[in-house]
Amino acid sequence: MGRKLLLEKAHVEGIRSFEVYRREGGYRSVEKALKTMSPEEIVEEVKKSGLRGRGGAGFPAGMKWSFIAKPEGVPRHLVCNADESEPGTFKDRYLMEFIPHLLIEGLIVSSFALGSNATYIYIRGEYAWIPDILEEAIAEAKANGFLGKNILGTGFDCEIYVQRGAGAYICGEETALIESLEGKRGNPRIKPPFPAIKGVWGRPTVVNNVETLASVVPIINEGGEEYAKIGVGKSTGTKLISACGNINKPGVFEIDMTISVEEFIYSDEYCGGIANGKRLKACIPGGSSVPILPANLMLKTAKGETRYMNYESLSDGGFATGSMMGSGGFIVLDEDQCVVRNTYSLARFYRHESCGQCSPCREGTGWMEKLLYRLEKGEGKSSDIDLLWDIQRKIEGNTICPLGDAAAWPVAAAIRHFRDEFEWHVSHAAEAQTRNFGLAHYSDPIHVPA
Amino acid sequence: MVQFSEAQMAKVNQIIARYPEGKQKSALLPLLHLAQDSFGGWLSAETMDYVAELLQITPIEVYEVATFYSMYNTKPVGKYLFEVCQTGPCMLNGSDNIIDYIGKTLGIKPGETTTDGLFTLKTVECLGACGYAPMMQLGKHYREHLTKEKVDAIIAECRSAAAANN
Repeated sequence: MGRKLLLEKAHVEGIRSFEVYRREGGYRSVEKALKTMSPEEIVEEVKKSGLRGRGGAGFPAGMKWSFIAKPEGVPRHLVCNADESEPGTFKDRYLMEFIPHLLIEGLIVSSFALGSNATYIYIRGEYAWIPDILEEAIAEAKANGFLGKNILGTGFDCEIYVQRGAGAYICGEETALIESLEGKRGNPRIKPPFPAIKGVWGRPTVVNNVETLASVVPIINEGGEEYAKIGVGKSTGTKLISACGNINKPGVFEIDMTISVEEFIYSDEYCGGIANGKRLKACIPGGSSVPILPANLMLKTAKGETRYMNYESLSDGGFATGSMMGSGGFIVLDEDQCVVRNTYSLARFYRHESCGQCSPCREGTGWMEKLLYRLEKGEGKSSDIDLLWDIQRKIEGNTICPLGDAAAWPVAAAIRHFRDEFEWHVSHAAEAQTRNFGLAHYSDPIHVPA
Repeated sequence: MVQFSEAQMAKVNQIIARYPEGKQKSALLPLLHLAQDSFGGWLSAETMDYVAELLQITPIEVYEVATFYSMYNTKPVGKYLFEVCQTGPCMLNGSDNIIDYIGKTLGIKPGETTTDGLFTLKTVECLGACGYAPMMQLGKHYREHLTKEKVDAIIAECRSAAAANN
């Protein structure tokens, strides 16, 4: 069993209250950081930790912090991205709901490091009950001198505010989030300038994911070097994985990134195997945007090596034979699932969520949805598959923000690895309405652990 | 006439105070949530104009935001709004059957409201509850691991709550 740095105390009775959280060792990192460290030293520790952004992009958090501009007399802001909306991802919700003080603690330390006196948590609007939990935690922290004016007598002032979004996946993109925080439509901005130079209200801003900011707590408590010893290679520390789909134990798991994909799927400690005794067909290991992989490539790399649950191993083979860690939203498809149907469902999602600003994404996501609908209903033509491929190629890389890529990749990977299933939907259109393709596309017997 | 109460106005001012001087437009999303909750579950033109006036911004700035975000209803909805997720992971766990079942039970299609004005069925995209699928949002909370039996119970619960309020 791996180490837990974030969720270790999540099930301690009463941990949502300041009193219990504090008794369990909470807010030590605030005392340590504010009383004994300079903001620069904190940034240095985060750099040493190797912590990578947990929202999906995996960009080194310490480096992102070091980019923040510090013009004289201009306030700076930290914004916590709690707009968790990537299908398959529900880890931040879990953290905020069950151990809210961990996020608040991370926010205070990070605000101090970045010089933010007013920090905002932008949370997706549908998580409508969580702002109450967070605001309660904020009020308690404030009542105990960890927030507000002159925190712990150090002279540092900080307020944290919770802002609800209102239903828009795009607001998880940091410049769209900033627009939304300013009371506008969530249209991503053209970069540069990056938020670190001109963010919310034109001020230098850092936007970080919930899990990233919570991870600052163990980094400060244990030191960046100690944190970096957990995990492997550039996948340091622990990672929250939200697992869903056709598995026995869906839920949120904290892993130390040294376990194999096979262990993650089949061990009772994690997903507990495929539901109803079925066989594994495919996985989308990092949220709906990342490439879907058939079971054989999910469990082993193209070179035949064991695939592990970390950034490097999940992306081994590039998009040709690999995928990505992404947001850690792990979606499992059993043998009865239809890849065409799943891809259609995701394409519909991206069409719905495109902000409409860039033509390739606005138009392309609609075309992809229509073509996939047609194929799924048995009304497609063989040329539709090539047309789909062509459209996704024309979206990828041609938009202001990564939503275009996020919409293109699932379609590309589905065709890349399951082309025969798409073709079967054309050649056996009537049959495809009554049964699924199953595992027929595997030329080798599928690997099923005993 | 659309108007916040004194207590609601205190909340409005508290929200506006979170932002720097002159950046009160940032309060638009929170105020639209408050307005929708306060004035019948949807945003009429009158409500949107009122919010614009409160924030000293133009009405179009409110309209474009209200129509962009999926949680704002720009048309009236039933007293109980069933927002059922249909995206990938929920679909893998049978959300289509749940949507069909709710529709048949209530005699409406997605996007429609029952004639008694009690229920609206709406399909939505991923709500971040993929591990607890199939699911829907009802008011402030999620209803997860939905089955036909659970749907029946939720509908009965809404009907009796509505009856108790009349």
